Amino acid sequence: MRSIAAFLYFLLLAIFMLLASPLFAQQKITLRVANWAGADEVKLEERIAAEFMQRHPNVSVSIESIPANYKQKILTSIAAGNVADVFLLDSPIIPALLNKGVLVDLKPYLAEGGIDPEIFFPNVREIFEKGDALYAIPKDFTPIMMYYNKRMFDKNGVPYPPKDWTWDDYLRIAQQLTRDNDGDGQPDQFGAVFQNYFFLWQPWIWMAGGDVMNPAGTSALGYFNSPETERAMQFQIDLRNKYKVAPGFTGSTTGEGESAAGGTTGMFYSDRLGMISSGHWSLVNWKKYMLTGELDIGVAPLPYPKDGKKANVIYAAGWCVPKITPNREWAIKLALFLGGELAARIRSEMAIGIPAIQTVAEEQVASDPYGLEQVFLDEAPYGRQSWGTVIDEFSRIETITQQAVEQVLVGGRDIHQAFTEAAQTIDEELERAAKYSGEVTELKGNREIIGFLIFVAALAALIAAAFYLWNSRRERSPLALGYTFLAPSFIVLLVFIFTPVFFSLYLSFHQWNVVAANKPFVGLENFSQLLRDRTFWNSFKNTLIYTLHVPVGMAISLFIAMLMNRKIRGVNLLRTIFFLPSVASFVAVALVWQWMYHPEFGLLNYLLSFFGVERIGWLSDPNLALVSVMILSVWMGIGYQMVIFLAGLQSIPEELYEVALTEGASAWQRFRYITLPLLKPTTFFVLITSVIGSFQVFTLVYVMTQGGPLRATDVVVFHIYKNAWDYLKMGYASAISWVLFIVIMLITWAQFRFIGKGVEYR
Amino acid sequence: MLSKNPIIKSIRKLFLYGFLFLLALSMLAPFLWMVLSSFMSELEMFSFPPKLLPEKLRWSNYTEALTLLPFDRFFLNTIVVTLFAAAGQLLTCSMAGYAFARLRFRGRDKIFALYLSTMMIPAIVTLIPSYLIINAFGWMDSYWAIFTPLLTSVWGIFLLRQFFLTIPRDYEDAARIDGASEWTIYWRVILPLSTPALGTLAIFAFMASWKDFLWPLIVTSRNDMRTVEVGIAMFHSLHASNWQYQMAAAVVVMLPIALIFFFTQKYFIKGITLSGLKE
Repeated sequence: MRSIAAFLYFLLLAIFMLLASPLFAQQKITLRVANWAGADEVKLEERIAAEFMQRHPNVSVSIESIPANYKQKILTSIAAGNVADVFLLDSPIIPALLNKGVLVDLKPYLAEGGIDPEIFFPNVREIFEKGDALYAIPKDFTPIMMYYNKRMFDKNGVPYPPKDWTWDDYLRIAQQLTRDNDGDGQPDQFGAVFQNYFFLWQPWIWMAGGDVMNPAGTSALGYFNSPETERAMQFQIDLRNKYKVAPGFTGSTTGEGESAAGGTTGMFYSDRLGMISSGHWSLVNWKKYMLTGELDIGVAPLPYPKDGKKANVIYAAGWCVPKITPNREWAIKLALFLGGELAARIRSEMAIGIPAIQTVAEEQVASDPYGLEQVFLDEAPYGRQSWGTVIDEFSRIETITQQAVEQVLVGGRDIHQAFTEAAQTIDEELERAAKYSGEVTELKGNREIIGFLIFVAALAALIAAAFYLWNSRRERSPLALGYTFLAPSFIVLLVFIFTPVFFSLYLSFHQWNVVAANKPFVGLENFSQLLRDRTFWNSFKNTLIYTLHVPVGMAISLFIAMLMNRKIRGVNLLRTIFFLPSVASFVAVALVWQWMYHPEFGLLNYLLSFFGVERIGWLSDPNLALVSVMILSVWMGIGYQMVIFLAGLQSIPEELYEVALTEGASAWQRFRYITLPLLKPTTFFVLITSVIGSFQVFTLVYVMTQGGPLRATDVVVFHIYKNAWDYLKMGYASAISWVLFIVIMLITWAQFRFIGKGVEYR
Repeated sequence: MLSKNPIIKSIRKLFLYGFLFLLALSMLAPFLWMVLSSFMSELEMFSFPPKLLPEKLRWSNYTEALTLLPFDRFFLNTIVVTLFAAAGQLLTCSMAGYAFARLRFRGRDKIFALYLSTMMIPAIVTLIPSYLIINAFGWMDSYWAIFTPLLTSVWGIFLLRQFFLTIPRDYEDAARIDGASEWTIYWRVILPLSTPALGTLAIFAFMASWKDFLWPLIVTSRNDMRTVEVGIAMFHSLHASNWQYQMAAAVVVMLPIALIFFFTQKYFIKGITLSGLKE
């Protein structure tokens, strides 16, 4: 027996150790290109890659599409040193990489690739420039425009927005389009919409003469809370709150994705929303429906205030080459090719963005039958670089400002108060970041870290092996026996849990950014910051409240499990139905439930209306949002808990019930004195695992609410996620994780101590 | 007290079934909408007020979704990975569960606490280090990368331990008198008595790795190494969400696990009854 286990143990160990050394050397030049293309766009990129391979037969190019979590994937692969040879750079990751010395300066190679930098729109190229360097070859770009639904304008006899229009015009048109068609006193058709996304409302601030930051990008105080900025934001907020020409929110103002069924896109499609602002990317899909006549859409520049000036923003994507690529020479060639004219021409067949090359952009305009491209191109010269591509700490600033807007929009807070507080918070963040941003040095990959990890894993494995050998000398030693049985699981845990956890402990004492070269030791600062972080305590409170759904869910699940434990017809099908929520993919579940919870058309409010219940803003009411998430959790958890309870119920001897029945015990008595006590190990198991699980709730919040509205559903792990992946504060995120870990441990210990008594070792 | 009157009995039955029907409907409603909307065009899906029934059944959503991306390959990958994960968990979890429940050795409860504590680590924290380790092994874009971290599960160990605790000692004592080794007791006595729990673990292990999204996304880059759940997300792009394809694919991806559950539940829910095994 022991020899088998020992063999298994050493085999696994050997495999891990052996493969820890990189054995595979590359034979032929293979270049990997990473982008976020959808299925249709990938075909186009593959055609471009084929053109390149035809010219260079010694190189093979593979297109890797990263459909989600692009930033995460790129950053982790940079940290591991296996990032794609060429990848697409866009707004959310530009600040993370541009100032970190991670990318190759492509400027010296432009001439070699036959590219004159002047062929690009200057304000697009500028986004990828730092000083004299050019860190990416611009691919395409877009300003933010105002789309309008022509069909709806025609139906209501409202003239289309002119090319040159003011905020007053915008408001007037929106008022003309807003109607109450069903006569319930509430408008059900709207002229405008305000979406609380930084990338959408940023240009409005510039038009009014305000700004988010000072020109140097070092302070927000006096800028984000300036009268001009506040006026621009107040105007947009008033569209909904004062003039009522924009619809309310169905969920969190920042979390409500495009996915929301019955959301803004849906309203725009079905003539219930007249104008919506967005970038060029929306046009691709809409053109498809314009061809079939299902939609009729026009586009206008953003309106500007009478006393203000025209302004817009430019969002761009470009091809960059990381310094750590082993094929730098070829990667640069490829990047130049991907950013070149031929590639741009192939892409403009689909026209997802406006080509960064001016001549190709003009060709794209010429081939557009609707004349929409021209409006975009006319707007291009007004485009200015977003703060998102300038400041390192941008993701954090984006969240802070959006939340300030939400406080005014939904929370009814005074705008100056909210914006001043936000500006102060931003300045504190910038100050803290500046403290540790030393000189930029070249990133050498993270060899030390990998070495450290392997060292820890190997050391622990050696200790375990030595321990095992020492014990196995004694014949049939119970200790050796125990460790032998634990060995297989221990090895896996060692490599994938214990080592990472040690690593995160190490991180929690550092200011640790995945891609930054400087990762200074900061002692306990992360922990002391945590104590002062009000948003953390808020997320902690929310998590505690959220956990209260566990006993409720368990009671329901136990009840269902007992029903499903009977011999009734179709019980197999019923069990499967109750199990379905655990099976379905999160994304689909989220979409469905956003519809269930929709205040106006959702199934829940429809059913409740029969009982005379007024419309409930399930996800948009800050007092209710967390409860709504909890309801959904109960629904999703029933399948899991039911199955475990069923397995437990099966182990209760039927004779006990038979005896109880003959003695005249009521159903409640049978439950109270037979089922419940005998089910205790199972109940205990479900309780422990569900409580732990609920402390770690993340995906649900991530897909449903993004922590909003007004941070009402911000839970600890979501907070960790935001810090680790959005703000790139891996050290701080690790500190939070450790605090969470200790809290869960204490709670679990308490459960074992007080509830688990009498369960163990019966 | 149960009445012997057949009329009252059938009324009770009617109520029971009516109640169950409503309950099931509340679970099923979102899925009905999911299936119905998978037959709609994208514009129909987003129509306002939302539609319940599609104008016509667009089977093309399904055929296009499954051919636009290599879903056959995605399914193959997912099946391979889930089988390895489930088999691995059955072995490692049952061994560890056996040690924690049936063996007595020094430090056992401390190690159990240590094991249990790993459940409390949020997965996002271990993401980067795990990735670095997999990368150091040179396993990127391989099945190994996707399933090795799933080869054990503390949840599963805990589940089996709790179950093993309920098995009376009489059985193994009898075997021990016959001179059986611990391995024999584990393999021949405890495991056969634990099929419901093992079945439960198997289906959850299968499901967890089937639905896993972030990890396979991070450790695979090549299209032909993607899993189904990542495949669904691949319809989403900056310019179009392609909800009609996402929904159709989500239905197809969900179906196998639902069917497996439907057909195998009797093995792990009925399994064996422990009646007659009184202490």
